[in-house]
Amino acid sequence: MDAEFIFSLIHFLGLLLLIASFGIIASPQLAACIRFYAVHAFLLALITGLVGYLNHIPHLVALALLTLLLKTVVIPQVFFWIIRRLGIRKEVESYINIPFSLILAVLLVFLSFYVTEKMRLTSIASREFVPLAVATLLFGMLVMTSRKKALTQVLGLLLMENGLFLMAVTLTFGMPLLVELGIFFDVLVGAVIMGILVFKIRGAFEGIDVDQMTVLKG
Amino acid sequence: MSIPWLLSVPLCTSLLCLIPWKRQVTRFVFIAGSLALAAMAFILVFRYGRGASLFAFGGNLMMDALSGIFVILIASVGLLASIYAGDYLFRQAGPNTSPRRLRRYAFFFHVFIFTMLLTVCSNNLGVMWIAIEGTTLASAFLVNVDDKKSSIEAAWKYLILCTVGIALALFGIILVYYSAVSRLAGGEGEILLNWTFLLAKAQSLDPQIMKLAFIFILVGYGTKAGLAPFHSWLPDAHSQAPGPVSALLSGVLLSCATFGIVRFHILTQAATGTSFSSVLLIVFGLLSVAVAVPFILEQSDYKRLLAYSSVEHMGLAAIGFGFGGIMGNYGALLHIVNHAFTKSLLFFSAGHLLYHFQTKHIKGIQGIFRKNAFLGIVFFSGILAISGMPPFSMFVSEFSILAAGFLDKNFLVCFMLLFFLTLIFAGFLRHASQMTFGAGPQAPSPKRSVLMDSVLGVGMILILMMGFYIPAPLNQLIQRASQVIGGVSS
Repeated sequence: MDAEFIFSLIHFLGLLLLIASFGIIASPQLAACIRFYAVHAFLLALITGLVGYLNHIPHLVALALLTLLLKTVVIPQVFFWIIRRLGIRKEVESYINIPFSLILAVLLVFLSFYVTEKMRLTSIASREFVPLAVATLLFGMLVMTSRKKALTQVLGLLLMENGLFLMAVTLTFGMPLLVELGIFFDVLVGAVIMGILVFKIRGAFEGIDVDQMTVLKG
Repeated sequence: MSIPWLLSVPLCTSLLCLIPWKRQVTRFVFIAGSLALAAMAFILVFRYGRGASLFAFGGNLMMDALSGIFVILIASVGLLASIYAGDYLFRQAGPNTSPRRLRRYAFFFHVFIFTMLLTVCSNNLGVMWIAIEGTTLASAFLVNVDDKKSSIEAAWKYLILCTVGIALALFGIILVYYSAVSRLAGGEGEILLNWTFLLAKAQSLDPQIMKLAFIFILVGYGTKAGLAPFHSWLPDAHSQAPGPVSALLSGVLLSCATFGIVRFHILTQAATGTSFSSVLLIVFGLLSVAVAVPFILEQSDYKRLLAYSSVEHMGLAAIGFGFGGIMGNYGALLHIVNHAFTKSLLFFSAGHLLYHFQTKHIKGIQGIFRKNAFLGIVFFSGILAISGMPPFSMFVSEFSILAAGFLDKNFLVCFMLLFFLTLIFAGFLRHASQMTFGAGPQAPSPKRSVLMDSVLGVGMILILMMGFYIPAPLNQLIQRASQVIGGVSS
């Protein structure tokens, strides 16, 4: 494979990544959201691996494999397990309906392109990905703030983390390996702890809607 | 004796706490661990860390004078809190608290201390980020100890808000790294995130990117430090956590996050050569003090009252760092030290209050003095101290910060600050005098614990002593640290 081909392949994957992020926002079912997240993480791993292969950076390939294992297999499985245990079948409830959140998402993409244009970053790897990474970050925030279920908030957080990872990989070929490994560890532990708390919320509040949490004020 | 040894103490203690021993043995290990940590921290900082900075793990860990102060704070407040918790949770916990839950509590307590120590000892900015995220994860379970509805809510909000904030800080760190990679070609990837390395090469970093990065760092770590308007998790978590945990959260955790901001503040100052970061610190600091005022004046829950006071004091420290100069930095650091001791004393006495009166409402408490004269004296002096009255220690540091402001000719900021502080003082005095004096219901007092009372006694002596006399080694440490911030010894 020549470098030119891989380069355009990476760009194509970036496009698919954006579509996967839209998928998370557009899907009405929690299970579908998680599948889209897995796809998102899979594409992220592919991009990371290809960037590493193209520029001969072995630790990026290692990170890609780790992403593949952790974010496309382990974390979605944990999510599915929680859903089964909690018996959630209902649709994703949202403060703003799906068509409107899609419009917001499109605006966020425009915003991230506009903002990163202003930043005048001279990228080392591929500059085109910086707005994509910022858009993913903003999508994560959108999911966190607009959804009612505690579980979808965790999903939004993980989406934000994917955006940051993409940013680090494409802007600077990834942070030092030690730091990236630590971040992976934190994400994994964080997901587990949030999962445990979701169970406790379920036990105490008879549901995992976060808009029931109104005891503490003032 | 070096940094890895220091870090291994809380880590080993936490693992030992997991072993299913008898209750009393776990309790002994729990307290002995913090005792050992405190002893090591004092020896390391005052004996070995006197001259140059200490490094470990290929420069990823570092302890200079600035970290030294925070190591001392974490170790000493950790010791007080663990002694207090040793009685508060292990002895007074009802029969429904299972030994398993106590062990889990002891485990997370020491992991929490470990992550805070790692935060202040890390030279690698990425490692610092990992450690700060670690503090959130470790303390989420400490906030929710009793699985009540309100505690779960507090823990959830704490976890989600702080993780989002920290994610934004990571964005800032990626920007800093990018700036280092693009401008400092040739450096080995591993050391490009090291604070000492970045500071030495600060001139060649891209000022625009560094400014942008500082904004993200300030928002991210500011969430954790409780700066307004990102403080909304703070009163919930502080009011729901058990007394000793609130003391740790408020006294040292917030300070550790501020430490992270200060490290970046130094970098940004060196890279841009402007007062960009100082102005931002002053603005957000002033906002934090202002936001705390109405909530302190009209508060019905005494633990939330103390929590909002933490927002105020972190704001004051940020303003001190913003004013800068030797005076401002010294005052801000001293303020962080004094706040750690005074606020933890107050949260310990709040634990006493909850135990004696079984309510968190200010209105539900009357006549502490009648019921328990010792507690009344400690609580009331603590309140006077936290609102900056002489002869207590907070007065000295608040005075230094204000003096730095006047020296800096920031008259408007200083006058606003004085106005807010007066209002806060009035609010505190109103609540505290209503709670302390007067005749309360004369229910029989529950059994008192000597250990818990002695923790209050020690705290009381500390805040009184620091008002008159700061021990010479500590004073030198703070002075050297303020030089680090001022860039004199860089």
